[in-house]
This record gives sequence, C-alpha cells and structure tokens, in this order.
Amino acid sequence: MSNTPLLQGIDLRKTYHLGKTEVPVLHGASLEVQRGDWITVLGSSGSGKSTLLHLLGGLDRPDKNSGEVLFHGESVWKKTNKEINEYRNSDIGFVFQFYHLLPELNVFENVLLPAMIGGRKTNNDMARERAASLLTRFGLDHRMLHRPRELSGGERQRAAIARALVNKPEVLLADEPTGNLDETTGNEILDVLQGLHQDGLTIVMVTHEQQIAERGNVVIQLRNGVV
Amino acid sequence: MSRVIPLIAIAAVGLCVALVIVVVSVMTGFLDMVQSAGKTLMGDVIITYGVSGIPHYDTLVEKLEEDPSILAATPIVDGWGLLRMPYPDSDAKQSETVQVWGIDPDSFTQVTGFNDSLHWKTSSKQQLDWLLFDAINKNASAILQTMSDEKQQLLIDTIGGARSTMNYQFTDLWSAMEAQLSDKQWELVKAYDERLQNPEKVFAQGLSLSRNGKAGIVSGLHVSDGNERQQDGSYAVIRNDHWWMPRFEGTLTMLPIASDGGLIEPESIIMPFTNEFQSGVFLIDSSRIFVPIETAQQLLHLDKAELVDNDDPTVVVGVDPARATSVLLCGADGVTADALQLIAAKVYDEFRETLRGSTTVMPPSRGDPSLSIHTWKEQQKSFTGPVEKERELMRTLFSIIYLVVAALILSIFWAIVFEKTRDIGILRSLGASRAGIVWIFLRYGGIIGVLGSLLGLLIGWLVTKNINEIHAAMGAPPIAIAIGAFVVSVASLWVVVVRGRRGEILPIVVGMLSAITFGGIGGIVLFVRSQGGIVIWDASVYYFSVIPNNIDWPSASFTLVGAVLFCLLGAVIPAAKAADTDPVKALRHE
Repeated sequence: MSNTPLLQGIDLRKTYHLGKTEVPVLHGASLEVQRGDWITVLGSSGSGKSTLLHLLGGLDRPDKNSGEVLFHGESVWKKTNKEINEYRNSDIGFVFQFYHLLPELNVFENVLLPAMIGGRKTNNDMARERAASLLTRFGLDHRMLHRPRELSGGERQRAAIARALVNKPEVLLADEPTGNLDETTGNEILDVLQGLHQDGLTIVMVTHEQQIAERGNVVIQLRNGVV
Repeated sequence: MSRVIPLIAIAAVGLCVALVIVVVSVMTGFLDMVQSAGKTLMGDVIITYGVSGIPHYDTLVEKLEEDPSILAATPIVDGWGLLRMPYPDSDAKQSETVQVWGIDPDSFTQVTGFNDSLHWKTSSKQQLDWLLFDAINKNASAILQTMSDEKQQLLIDTIGGARSTMNYQFTDLWSAMEAQLSDKQWELVKAYDERLQNPEKVFAQGLSLSRNGKAGIVSGLHVSDGNERQQDGSYAVIRNDHWWMPRFEGTLTMLPIASDGGLIEPESIIMPFTNEFQSGVFLIDSSRIFVPIETAQQLLHLDKAELVDNDDPTVVVGVDPARATSVLLCGADGVTADALQLIAAKVYDEFRETLRGSTTVMPPSRGDPSLSIHTWKEQQKSFTGPVEKERELMRTLFSIIYLVVAALILSIFWAIVFEKTRDIGILRSLGASRAGIVWIFLRYGGIIGVLGSLLGLLIGWLVTKNINEIHAAMGAPPIAIAIGAFVVSVASLWVVVVRGRRGEILPIVVGMLSAITFGGIGGIVLFVRSQGGIVIWDASVYYFSVIPNNIDWPSASFTLVGAVLFCLLGAVIPAAKAADTDPVKALRHE
C-alpha cells in the first residue's frame, strides 16, 4: 500500500472540440504524486497544464479509453457521480488562477462553503473553527466579513487557498495561483504554499514561469501535451 | 446587476399576476352582474302568455302564493308604447319608445327589488322650489285675487325673477314665499301638491304609482333626456333640476291588439311622473316604464269586458276576465329557480283544473307553445347568451396570457442562471451535486414566485378595489398629475444635460426615455382635460354604470399558484441545464 502513489495520472489524453475542429491538448501525459510531494508542472500557455490539473482534480473527464486518474490506486472516473462529488469536495482542494470566490458571500462563508456542501459528514462547529483558524493563519482574520470584491488579489487568493483546505484534503491542486498577481504578492502566496508543504500537505501546482516552478521539490516539464 | 435582476423578476411576476387578477375579476364580476342584474326587476320565475294574456290571473296568483315554496307572485301586463315627454320647451315635444310594464305595486315590490331601485327617495330643496314654483303658477289667479295690489306686484316680480334664475342657481323661492304668502294662501299652495307638505312623499308616490290620487308613471332613469350621466356614473338633472321628471306629466300611447291579432285604434292617457328607477342595467333603465296594471290593461284592451252575442250586441252572454301577460314569482329562501320552475308548472296545471267548467274563458294549456314558464336565467338568455360566449373566449385568451407569463418568467430565469453559470461551475468544482444546484435555484424561483405573487395580489387587489376611482381619475385626471409629470420630465432633461456632458451614454438614454414618457403623460392629461374628460367605461356599451370591483378569488388563487409553479418551472429548466454543464466549461463562462 505504501508503494501506491497518492495520486496518479496514467497516459492521459484530452481533446477539445471547437465546433467541428478537434483540438488535442494532452497526448498521453503521465504523472505520479507521492504523499508529501510538491510537484510543479511547468509549461507554456496552451501546453495543456491546466487541463492536466482539471483531469487530476476530477473536474474534467479524459477522452474515452484514454488514460486514467488513480487516487489511492482507485480510478476516479469509475466512481459514481456521488463519489466524484465527494472526491472534489474533500479528497482534493483546488485553487484557481482567478480565485473563483462567490461574490454574494463574505470571505468566511466562502471558506466554509465546501464544508457546507459536504454537509452530512462535517461537524458544523468544527468546520467553522477550522475556517476561522485557516483565515487567521493566512492573515485574513480582519477580513472575514468582507465581500471578495473588497479584497486585494493576494487576499482573495489566500481566501481561496483557505477554502481549498477547509475540508482537509490530501492534495492541493493549484492552477497558476500567482498568475494574476504581481511578483511580491505572488511570492507571498508561494510562501503560504511552502508553509503548507512543510506541514506535510501534498501540492500539485502548474505554472508557466521557471522561477516559480523551482519552488517545488519536483519539477515536471509539459511540452506539446506530453510530460 | 445580480441584485437588480431578482427585483425585476419579482416586479415582472407581480405585474403579470396583477394583470390577470384585475382583468379576470372585472370580467367575471361583469358577467355575474349581467346575469343577476336582470333578476332585480324580474323575480326568479316568469310565467308568460304572449299577447293575449292569461285570464283569471288573480286566481293563479292566489294559488301560487298558497304554495309554501313561493314567497310571492305578481301579475304583469307588458307591451310597447310611445311616451310623449314634457321636453323640450317648445310645443313640438319629444317622444320615446318605451317598454311598458303594468304592475300591481304592492305584490311587485314583494317579488322584485322595485322599492330599492326607486331613484328619488326625497325631494331636494331645489326640487321643492320647482314644485312650489309650479304650484303657485297653477294657482296664480286664486292667490292673486286675495292679495293687495302692492303684494300682487311683488309676487309677480318674485316669480318672474325666479323663472329665469332657478335654471342655474338655487334661489330659495321657498323662504321668499313664506314671507310673502299668508297662511291661507300657503295652505292653498300646499294642498295643490302633497310633496310640498312632505318632501319624502315622492318615494311613496313612486311605490304606489300615483300622484295626488292620479295613476302615475315610474320611468327608467335613462328614459328621460333630462337626466344626464356624470363622469362618476351618477345622474344629475339638467338645468338645475328644471327637467326633474316628477314635476311633469307624460302622454302614454299603446297599441292594443285584438284577440284575432289585428290592430285596434291606439289609446292614449296623460299620466304624471311619480318617480324614476335605476336597475343598473342600461338596457332596462333606458327603455322601461312602470304604470299601474289597470292602466296598462285599459290601454291594451286586456281589462275585464262583457262578452256579447254576435247576432245581437245588446245581449250579454258572459264576461271576458281581465288578463295579465305574465306572472312573476319569487321563491322562498333556499328554493332554487330551477326547483321553483317545476313547482310553478305544477301549480299552473292545478289552477287550470280548478277553472274547468266554471268559466267560458279558459287559460291556455301548458301544451300551448305561446305559454312559457321560464327561470330568470332562461328569460335572459338572448341577453346573456352572447356574454356567456364572450366569457368562453376570454378564458381561452387568458390561457394564452398564462403562457406568456410562463415564457416571461422562463426567460428571466434563463438570464439569471446564465449570469450565475460561473458560480455554478465553482459550486460544482467544490463538490456540489447537480441536484444540489437545481435545489438552490428551485428555492430561488420559489421565493421569487411567492414574493411576486404576493406583490401581484396586493397590486391586483388595490387596483380592482379602486377601479372605479381609477376610472374616474383617468376620465378627469387631476392637474397635479400633469404638473408632477412635467416636473419629472424637466428633471430628467436636466440629468441628461448634466450627465451627458461627461460623455456617459446610459444617463442620456434613460433620461431621454423618462423625459419623453413623463412629458407624454403630462400631455395626455392636459389633452384629456381640454376635452372635458373622457368616459372609458361607457354605460350604454357595458350595460352597467359602475365597473365591478370584487376580486374573483377562485381565479385569483389559481393565478397565484400558477405563477409560483411557473417560477419553479422557469428556474428548474435553466438550472438543470447549467448543472449539467461541465464544471470546467462553466468556470470559463464570463
């Protein structure tokens, strides 16, 4: 069991359909993530790195009979809809380049959202405590009751990371988490991730900047849809 | 934007619901009024035998009233006639075609709402002045004889002055006469007209169809051109009560028809107007008059006559009893018109049976096609039939309006869900299930539906309850509306100029629209006012002088439930579509 990678992508292929044109993005990318890794996937824009992350996070489905995503050795895409929802909800945490916070909810509610969606198995008070402590850790304790639009980009991304972590996922998937931020703020975010990694969190991050990619302990190059 | 859209949705649902509630309520109320209004002056069941009338009708009435399920019965003689009116002032008087109902006032009041429909309950000061004016003119020579020359001149001057001023203002002739006439002369005047002693006598005279001992007429309020309909639906007598009908007499001419169907020489009679009635049904109010049944029988030759030998007219061989063309019935409490119809038929047969052998003139058998026993509904059929068909048409049209409402709600929700697609993607990527997404929007749609329906109910209720006031205000809009509209219009233009200078386009578009709209409203108000107001709900077209203002609760509840359902439907279809979108695609949605 200890030899089984935590998260594994095998021969992943993905083709997008733009009208009648087929745009192949991934041509059989494979990837192994061991517990405690901080893997950074480096690739130019259009190389398919975001797609790879979506496939790993259960947000998108690989082409038929073209590769598999294994979590603890189990195929994600063979799960039922309900199980996939649970996978997205609690097994992994996803951080987007554009934060994707809900504008109608305040920061605290946004962070609590995955716990509320998870519902049944999450103890309400514990989730609230955890959300509050995550926000405090990321220096957002004074921002809890603010709406996302009142926050700076860096603050929003930290809130998004807190949201990704509220259900204690085993893997954090980060899609260009600094792509929309200036260098200083970006470094702050990377420091946060570094801290989380040191605490034992497994991270997969994609980026197109060599410099940022080097923050990880394993760097993978993605070119033309192949690792 | 996302905060405005739900408000727009609630407003749209509310307006649709209000629209349906108002229109359906008015329509249903209108139809109910059409059906029941005729009943006011008709009773529940009507037994009719065309032109020649039912002989021994008093026996029939007695027999009918013996039955416990019949509250009262009353005979009617009806026919068409010409009524020569007292107006205009010149010698060439105007005549009106009228439907004459000869009635027995006492029993007629028991069967119908006759007493409630009488319009003049008492005489106003102005009307009393006119009666006094008439009484003094009629008794002028008698009064003047007993006066000194000096007083004579004063009286002639006062009356002469009143003759012209009373046509446009209250002159208080009464006080002037009290000062000028001696007690004896005053008594002479008062003796001429009972109403001068008791202003409320006019109502009693209407009820008894007699004035100062003379058989009189109660005419429909709209028969006389002297009564003018006001904007609020009430009637006023023109020329400051000069043409108040109970002052005058009219000449009634009817065409009697012989038993063989031929015409007999028309008969005329001069009768005083005693009162006027208003049933609320324009058709009746504009053509019907009531006279005592004996008068109508005389005019139509349906009164009691001697039957003479054909060979020798001096030999009397029998009596032709008086006849009534109809008998109206009113059922006891809880007896339906349909049940009453069967009872009336049974009693009629018994009535015919008792007469057998005792008279030479038998009433028609029930097999006679000219004899009919109808409920008020059947009697009204030619009148209500087309309206019933209209109601069916309206129902069909309204099911289309419901569809329009559904389409509107659906498109609003489509816009809402479209706007929220990215948020749906976020929720999905955080592990929310499709059903969970749909459930969120279902609740959202439900809340909008409930709030919108309640808003619509409130608006619909307010509009329906005040529809007559709104109609009056539209007919004669207050100047304040015009001023207010122009102020808003000018303010909008000011906004256009000020904000337009900064180069923004939205304030210009909205400001211009608002300026044009409110300017238009103000202009329409001024135009309507310049025309002296308009009447939208014309009584001569819609039969009634007031618009029905009761909420039709069954259709209103149906509408409310329908609106909520459509909101749920409108929310769930686009939400389901959005929930089925890939999270990644939804996330890319801008």
